[in-house]
Amino acid sequence: MSSTHRIQGPLPDVADVLVIGAGASGSVAVSELAKNGFSVVCLEQGDWTPATEFAGDKPEWELVKQKKWHPNPNVRQGPSDYPINTDESDVNPLLYNGVGGSTILYAAHWCRMMPSDFQTRTLDDVGDDWPFTYEDLQPFYEEMEKMMGVSGLGGDPAYPDEPSFPQPPLPIGKVGLKAAAGMDKLGWHWWPGANAIASKAIGHRPACLRYGACLTGCPAGAKGSTDITHWPDALEAGAHLVTGARVREISVDDKGLASGAHYIDRDGVEHHQKARIVVLAANGLGTPRLMLLSKSEQHPNGLANSTDLVGRRLMMHPYGAAVGTYEDGLESWLGPAGQILHSMEFYETDKSRGFVRGAKWNLMPSGGPLGMRSGYGGRPVDESFGVNFHKNVKRVLGRSFEWGVIAEDLPDESNRVILDPELTDSDGIPAPKLLYKSSENTEKLIKWHVARAVEAHEAAGATSIETTELMRDCGWHLLGTTKMGNDPQTSVVNEWGAAHDCPNLVIIDGSVFTTSSGMNPTATIMANALRSIRHLIENRATQPMSGE
Amino acid sequence: MLTDDQRSVYSRLADVLIPSAEGMPSASEADVPTKWINDALGYRPDLVPAFMRALELGTDDDAEAAVLHINASDSVAFDALGVLTSGSYFLNPTVKELIGYPGQVPSPAYDDTETYIDMLAAVVERGPIFRPTVR
Repeated sequence: MSSTHRIQGPLPDVADVLVIGAGASGSVAVSELAKNGFSVVCLEQGDWTPATEFAGDKPEWELVKQKKWHPNPNVRQGPSDYPINTDESDVNPLLYNGVGGSTILYAAHWCRMMPSDFQTRTLDDVGDDWPFTYEDLQPFYEEMEKMMGVSGLGGDPAYPDEPSFPQPPLPIGKVGLKAAAGMDKLGWHWWPGANAIASKAIGHRPACLRYGACLTGCPAGAKGSTDITHWPDALEAGAHLVTGARVREISVDDKGLASGAHYIDRDGVEHHQKARIVVLAANGLGTPRLMLLSKSEQHPNGLANSTDLVGRRLMMHPYGAAVGTYEDGLESWLGPAGQILHSMEFYETDKSRGFVRGAKWNLMPSGGPLGMRSGYGGRPVDESFGVNFHKNVKRVLGRSFEWGVIAEDLPDESNRVILDPELTDSDGIPAPKLLYKSSENTEKLIKWHVARAVEAHEAAGATSIETTELMRDCGWHLLGTTKMGNDPQTSVVNEWGAAHDCPNLVIIDGSVFTTSSGMNPTATIMANALRSIRHLIENRATQPMSGE
Repeated sequence: MLTDDQRSVYSRLADVLIPSAEGMPSASEADVPTKWINDALGYRPDLVPAFMRALELGTDDDAEAAVLHINASDSVAFDALGVLTSGSYFLNPTVKELIGYPGQVPSPAYDDTETYIDMLAAVVERGPIFRPTVR
């Protein structure tokens, strides 16, 4: 057995439930199922990432974050990563493969969706309504916020129930005060950001040390990644975790029900894990990839893909930003990073703007002196070097911050994940290819919002402002590729995540999002996963299973 | 590890990129070519081939011309040269002190709600800004 193929506990011959993926949603499923007496096996292609490996508390952090801890797997090229063809995509997908999944590298912005996000067809005549409402998901948000130790300030009038949080807010610091003053001048909404980051110690989890390194893994262990928040309890409850296990196909029985998965360990040995129920939690890219790989006599177009919708309606939240620089020293290398503030001022539709839907804004610090500096090649040397090297550092370091715009991305069936005809991963499994174009509505939305973010900086007294209307490395939010809905003709899964074509295949990651909202999706992914798995547990007596 | 010849070439290129100015030391004065570049190359082995190409392209006696030549003829090599030289420079604790950057040090979180709670009152007074669920 190699060091990257570890099995925790002897595996059952037939698991009650096989979960594929140990990230945000898979962690919720495994934890809930194990605590409720199910035998659970989880297959994860990556490994554990101990906090001691992160560089955020080390001098070399800014150098290594551009490679080893880069969120783009095509740049990072780690042993657990698979290649992704992005030649025909406006946006690069960002993700992490390992125990905890992309929560290892996420910014931990904790954002519930708005009531209107669940009813875009009813309210704005675009997209589709979700099969449930904000109020249906609200108790699961609340429960998940406790599990994740979310910090934030209650009473935000942007939400119907003005949620409170289990932890007090993280400091907004000089950056937050400066930005808030600008928003107040304009009379625009702002609120201290909610983050899945401990502002005070919780059990063995220490409080935030403000390294500002959330996006490259928290060296303090304060960020709520699910390797910390869920896996210890899940393993204690008897869950089985196999790391270094790359799934190549979900198997089906003669009735067409999911019966397990074939996977390859890091020594290249193939295994088959049998199961009565299969839960897919491999993210909005990995999940459709696996389903398209799993062709059979019963599912000739890929697993649960009679509608040809698997992989379609990919939404990735194009991201725009305005970075303002100020005369005052703001210590803008300090965390959280993390959202310091958020604003919902322009979240809801106003058709007079020339587009529908909206965006959440998040305020983020700007990091250290090296930042994400690269891409010097081909640009004038004296733009970044010579005397200007020193002038730029003195002008920007500690004096700049970003208003970022999470643009709602509407579903479009031509935006999709397919299998690349040539590219394969290190195990010879076909790699995914993205076909993705930003829509006219999205482009108008970002342009308008970035212009308002510039006004916010101007009101706060910025001396210079730089804007980006579409950041290519922004595809953190991989959503929509196995649409949730009540109609089996127009959706892949029902409101509980069960595939219409294969009722013992339950999908619980961001793939099921009916629409994308303009929010960071982890809160909704985890709350929805909890809702789906609780339903499965409560209805175990009538749940279809393989082998019956 | 760089040879003496490579280090000599690099030293001249690095001082074009980061000269002594604005009260700050040059790359050489900050020990970039003699010390910190060794660490940086260790942290970023993926950039070593492109960095070495930059050194091969940068042998012109006129160091400024050499830097322009690298940028014009091999943008990937220039990028590696720029990232590694900047990154090396900021590894030096004296440089960090001069620019007022403490580096990656812990700064425990604290509750600063009292600094802005009065400002938030105006946000609350403006009232709800969401569209409720349609039943």
